[in-house]
Amino acid sequence: MGEHVPPDLLPGTLDLLILKALAANPQHGYGIAQRLRTVSDDVLQVGESSLYPALQRLLLKGWVKAEWGASENNRRARFYTLTAAGRKRLAVERQEFEHLILAIHKVLNAT
Amino acid sequence: MLGLLRRTWHLLRRRRFEADLAEELEFHRAMKQQELEALGADPTEAAFAARRALGSIALAQDHSGDVWRPLWLLEGVWQDVTYAVRDLRRQPGFAAVAVLTLTLGIGANTAIFSVVNTVLLKPLKAPDAARLVRFVTISGTTSSPVTGAQTFEIWRRQTSVFADVAAHRLEFVNLSGGSEPEQVPLARVTTEFFPLFRARLLHGRPFTADEDRPNGGEVAVMSYGLWMRRFGGDPRIVGQAIAIGRVPHVVVGILSADFDTEQFDPRPDLWVPFQIEPERIDGGNLFVVTGRLKPAITIEMANAQLAVAAADYARTVPVRSNRQTSWLVQPLQDAMVGSVRSSLNLLLASVGLVLLIACANVASLLLVRADVRKREMAIRAAIGAARGRIVRQLLTESLVLSLAGGLLGLAAGTIAIRALLSVAAGSNPFSPGGTDFTIPRIGESGAAVGLDWSVLTFSVLVSAVTGIGFGVLPAFHAARTELSLTLKQAGGAASSSFRRNKARALLVVTEIALALMLLVGAALLIRTSLAFRAVRPGFTPDNVLTLRMSVTATPFETRAGITDLTRNSLERIRAVPGVVSASTTCCMPLETVWQLPFVVASRAQSGLTRAGNLAFHAFGGWTFVSPGYFDVFRIPILRGRDFTDGDTAGAPGVVIINQEMARRFWPSSDPLSDRLIIGRGMRPEYDQDPVRQIIGIVGDVRDTGLNRSPRPGMYVPTAQVPDGVTILNVRLLPLVWVVRTAGEPYSLSVPIKNELQRVSGLPVARIRSMGDVVGESTARTRFDMWLMTIFGCSALLLAAVGIYGVMAYSVQQRTKEIGIRLALGADARSVQRMVVFQGMALTLPGVGIGLAAAFGLTRIMASFLFGVTPRDPLVFMSAPLLLSSVAFIAVWLPGRGACRVDPVVALRAE
Repeated sequence: MGEHVPPDLLPGTLDLLILKALAANPQHGYGIAQRLRTVSDDVLQVGESSLYPALQRLLLKGWVKAEWGASENNRRARFYTLTAAGRKRLAVERQEFEHLILAIHKVLNAT
Repeated sequence: MLGLLRRTWHLLRRRRFEADLAEELEFHRAMKQQELEALGADPTEAAFAARRALGSIALAQDHSGDVWRPLWLLEGVWQDVTYAVRDLRRQPGFAAVAVLTLTLGIGANTAIFSVVNTVLLKPLKAPDAARLVRFVTISGTTSSPVTGAQTFEIWRRQTSVFADVAAHRLEFVNLSGGSEPEQVPLARVTTEFFPLFRARLLHGRPFTADEDRPNGGEVAVMSYGLWMRRFGGDPRIVGQAIAIGRVPHVVVGILSADFDTEQFDPRPDLWVPFQIEPERIDGGNLFVVTGRLKPAITIEMANAQLAVAAADYARTVPVRSNRQTSWLVQPLQDAMVGSVRSSLNLLLASVGLVLLIACANVASLLLVRADVRKREMAIRAAIGAARGRIVRQLLTESLVLSLAGGLLGLAAGTIAIRALLSVAAGSNPFSPGGTDFTIPRIGESGAAVGLDWSVLTFSVLVSAVTGIGFGVLPAFHAARTELSLTLKQAGGAASSSFRRNKARALLVVTEIALALMLLVGAALLIRTSLAFRAVRPGFTPDNVLTLRMSVTATPFETRAGITDLTRNSLERIRAVPGVVSASTTCCMPLETVWQLPFVVASRAQSGLTRAGNLAFHAFGGWTFVSPGYFDVFRIPILRGRDFTDGDTAGAPGVVIINQEMARRFWPSSDPLSDRLIIGRGMRPEYDQDPVRQIIGIVGDVRDTGLNRSPRPGMYVPTAQVPDGVTILNVRLLPLVWVVRTAGEPYSLSVPIKNELQRVSGLPVARIRSMGDVVGESTARTRFDMWLMTIFGCSALLLAAVGIYGVMAYSVQQRTKEIGIRLALGADARSVQRMVVFQGMALTLPGVGIGLAAAFGLTRIMASFLFGVTPRDPLVFMSAPLLLSSVAFIAVWLPGRGACRVDPVVALRAE
């Protein structure tokens, strides 16, 4: 059985990361994975078997939409675009995440 | 909500979705491979690596798909179903036994539910039927829906709580004119009746309030059925006159085809205004009253209002009644259903037990099957099938079984119940307040009971619940299989675990206990039916034919007319070959019994009780008969004499009483030297009744029900009944001709009918042998008895199959052990004894538990029983004996198989 979420990733963060990866411009699944990996200096290796279900989940919630287009090497690829709802969601999730990080930070630095 | 929409959209475009996903994943894989190659990997290696990195593509696909399917049950269902069907077809024997068992269980439930649905659940057709109420008069311990004019007027005036309070009753009249006179049912109703049931008229109008007053003219409304049948659906009949009896009535309206109030059985063909005369003295029980609660008024509020009205009434009419009379309303549907509700509840509970037994049986079968398929399941689990997936597959299999059983059961149940209802259901339109004998609302021979959406839904639901019910235990058992253990076992004969055998043993014990309870219930009802049969009704019903003739609105409805008619006709009938004796009467035993108050003349001033403004000694049954009546029914004349043709209107008044009346009112004196004043003060008509000399004492007749002791009864000669009483009587009930025949009574129905028609010119209808009338009076008991017997026998059969299955399987499993025993010189007999012993060790605890449960529960059956106590020793001995004997046979057969095991074959089998 393949891993769903990288074990170190906090639950729910994958959605946030994908939304963020799509914030700048539409991207296909492979591109999203690449981007997450390079931006995080190879720390975040998102398994495909969790990436694609996550994308479906976002589609279902209406936060992203998918369209077929041509990839950089001119192959047919499915591009995901952030919807307006997705953008709002990104803001919300980001805020929540920052709250969380701050909280964790406080706990760690407590004497 | 939006999510649901997207899901649906996704479901609709599933193929497209899957293709998209596959392409997307392939793209991903290709890019990965490219990436790896760019890093300098060997192309084939890169391809492998890419694939590995992607994990199982299928898995990704699966998980991605799952996102869209929270209704995971739906997904792959078709696959599971086809797999289940294929699997079941491989074992047709198992499948057949399981499906047949379920057919029996679900079919029986469908059958009973279809009756419950028709009688209890289906709402009345009238709009807003829940607000319709029936008025009931409670007097002492008895309650009656039948009432008279004065009370009705009071009820009608309670306009703060009721609207459309209507009086109604059923009569039978002759429709003459046209080719052939015909006896048809007629409803006499007040004007409120049509608005009450929101009647729609196809043509014309309902009658007006003016037409509903005394002497308001002769008008009628016609049913759609009669209009089509007799008048060819010609709308010009409206405004024309038709002859009811000999009186022309102007047809003012035609009712729409779907108008059915269910208040009359049979459905009336004609409707006439009641034209109640309010000045009539109350007490003559005349009609039934129905009304509608006003909006926001509850039954309780209405009843409180009625209590106030009753108190007011008691103040204005000073009565010294020894019987406390009060008024109530109850929901119309409840009132119509009456006592049949408890009987149906009993049947429903019993049939539920049958289903439980069927479930236990199939569960037990499935456990065996799971045992046999243990290896298959283990292998499946080993190659990665999730536990939930296996459970699902097994549950699908049981659902396929139960739905197949449900479908067959639906068909079988609907057909069987119709057959049973047409045989066992009776009807009695001649008892104005209704009777306890019959099942209401089921229509002619149960025609109203049938398949509809509720029955269909019920069957499907029961099937589904059943399928899951009996499937869950085996499915989880199977899924819990210890992988390594099972796979390690040699060969196919995985021995069943102790736990599983225990589960099956438990199922068998439960089955036997339930079956015993049903058998006890059935046996009690069989004893009741036998007791009914053994009852001596006080008359001989064999070889008596009865015929009904409506003489309303003809010259024969007066005393002189009816006397002439009966004398002339009886002469002609008696001349018909095969006729032994013949007579007429107003009302037949077990159909209608009038009760009239009487005063014993010798002590007219003492011991009187009062009700309303009546003073009397007691109520007694009252029947008018022509000479020869006691001959026809072979009711013995114990003292005095029978009526003769000499007891005419001009002769001194006479009356014959029954033994019970003589015993109760003349315990130490001679009734034959006393006289009776009957019905005085009831209605003006009865005031014409002469003071009657008691001239004879006849044997008691159980005329209000075979299970009810005879009550005081009086018989008067037809020729001496005052005109008004005769007119009233023949309006309420068609005259009855009773004929004793030498042979089969129905063989003479045509000649007698023709003879009657020739003399009177009137049609006769509802020709029945007295045997059938007696039979109909116990129809409901018989219906209950047959059903319980069928349930009991089914339970017995299922339990036998169940225990047989367990023992046969256990013998088969232990073939090797038995082989060894035999090889070591064990006696074949002792092996058989061992198997039988073990089987009976399952049976007897079941019998014990069942016996205890039945002992506690049969009390609730007390009201259904007659001539037998709920804890009848004979029943409580014979039912366990029968069950144990059948169980013995069921375990003896596998036992015999066991002792025939060939040791050599058994040992080699490994």
